[in-house]
Amino acid sequence: MLKKTPIAAGIAALATIFIAGGCAVADADKSNAVDYTAMTPEELAEHLIFEANGFVLDQEVQEGGTTRQRMVQDDLHKACSVIGGGDPDQETLEAVRAAAAESIVYPEGGIELGDWERGRELAWSGFGYRVGHKTDDHSARDVGGNCYNCHQLATDRTGGNLGPSLTGYGKTRGTSEAMLKYAYDMIYNPHVYFPCTNMPRFGHSGFLDEQAIADIMAYMFDPESPVNE
Amino acid sequence: MFKKALLALPVALALGATAHAEKPPEEVLQDLIDSVDSAYLTQSEQNLLMMADNPAMWTGMDGEDLFHTPRGPNNVSMEACDFGKGPGVLEGAYVELPRYFEDTDRVMDLENRIVHCMTEVQGFAADDPAVARRHGSGSDHMKIQTYIAMQSNGMEWNNPLDHPLEIAMRDAGEVMFYRRSGIADFNCNTCHGESGKRIRASVLPSKDVPQEWTKAMSWPAFRVGHDNVRSSQHRIRGCYWQMRMPRINPDGDASIALMSYWTDASRGQPAILPDMKR
Repeated sequence: MLKKTPIAAGIAALATIFIAGGCAVADADKSNAVDYTAMTPEELAEHLIFEANGFVLDQEVQEGGTTRQRMVQDDLHKACSVIGGGDPDQETLEAVRAAAAESIVYPEGGIELGDWERGRELAWSGFGYRVGHKTDDHSARDVGGNCYNCHQLATDRTGGNLGPSLTGYGKTRGTSEAMLKYAYDMIYNPHVYFPCTNMPRFGHSGFLDEQAIADIMAYMFDPESPVNE
Repeated sequence: MFKKALLALPVALALGATAHAEKPPEEVLQDLIDSVDSAYLTQSEQNLLMMADNPAMWTGMDGEDLFHTPRGPNNVSMEACDFGKGPGVLEGAYVELPRYFEDTDRVMDLENRIVHCMTEVQGFAADDPAVARRHGSGSDHMKIQTYIAMQSNGMEWNNPLDHPLEIAMRDAGEVMFYRRSGIADFNCNTCHGESGKRIRASVLPSKDVPQEWTKAMSWPAFRVGHDNVRSSQHRIRGCYWQMRMPRINPDGDASIALMSYWTDASRGQPAILPDMKR
């Protein structure tokens, strides 16, 4: 309890100013609430995604970290996000291609084909890395490559056509070292041959591990695989 | 099936009287099919045959009851709510959403506007199942959304771009549509940038072919594979899930920005409401 001294009165007066000031600040915050119309479309999109509760950004993800990183763009994402679709300029494409070439890591023992039967299932499976209302539990199942979503492979199952048909892949191309390297590169980081392609960077992103890539490649190249029937 | 068809006829007639479009949804769709060569529009002969018997009609009829019944702690019906064309006016309201609402100083889609009506006008708590449960044919939301949307069947999509916020949201939605990110590097355009492309056996709609896109974003629609009526927000949630991106918040402006853009992409095309999808 403060005695009514001149000093106390002064403190009280100061407190009143602080409280009033606090209100003024709060009001200013409200009236200065982010003005969407003052932002560029790009700035507003970033704001809506990261600052305005647009997405659940704090969920843990399978690769470690949180869902926030699934919305943060890396250099390739930025370079290849073109309003209206289509490709960026040639210089940008060359930079994307060069970065992709740098990114590719080869297996220690060289590129080898794995188990085509496992590869067949991985090429079909769409399981893996999904988050949100249903989250894929990677301890329960292997992560698939979901190749059939976009590619036709063996014709016993129906594939999509967002990417080219890969039916008879090994049969028509052979299994030379150069051919295996090309296919490995395409799975690991396809931007090295097709900068700003729609295809995911399955190796670079860690989506598929070395064994999964070897098994899927066996499904593409093995003479026994139904892809090459 | 025959019994269902018999039952559906009076439903179609009853709703036809309140839904002001001259053509039922299946004829709106047929006109689009006749106007353009599209593998997407014609991919399911079975769905086309079932359209006249769309279970979403029932969902809409339940919605009609819910809409006009006084409900919530305030015991008022949704007739008191403004969906953009004045309190209780539903004809053509949905094809002009998302739009700017002065009372909230916000661009809102149908789902957010229904939430606003339920909480602010009817007095429901935000966690009341009527407000919080958004998905499934049995939810109040899907019933009411379907009823309101059906009052725009056959009308042209025409979300206003007059208010600066409407323009800002549409433009931000466009950026989001083409914005690649995540472990699989996708964006919306990965799947919706070209006509005639398939994911496995499913033909994808192209955003750049408006006759396809109007069907693509004509929600609510009965999804045969889900055995449920689904909403725009449900479709967006599914797309982000497939893209390996985080769960989108249906109450956030990000989802509304995307809808502002995708509705603009269908401008001038007739809405198919309710639609039926695979």
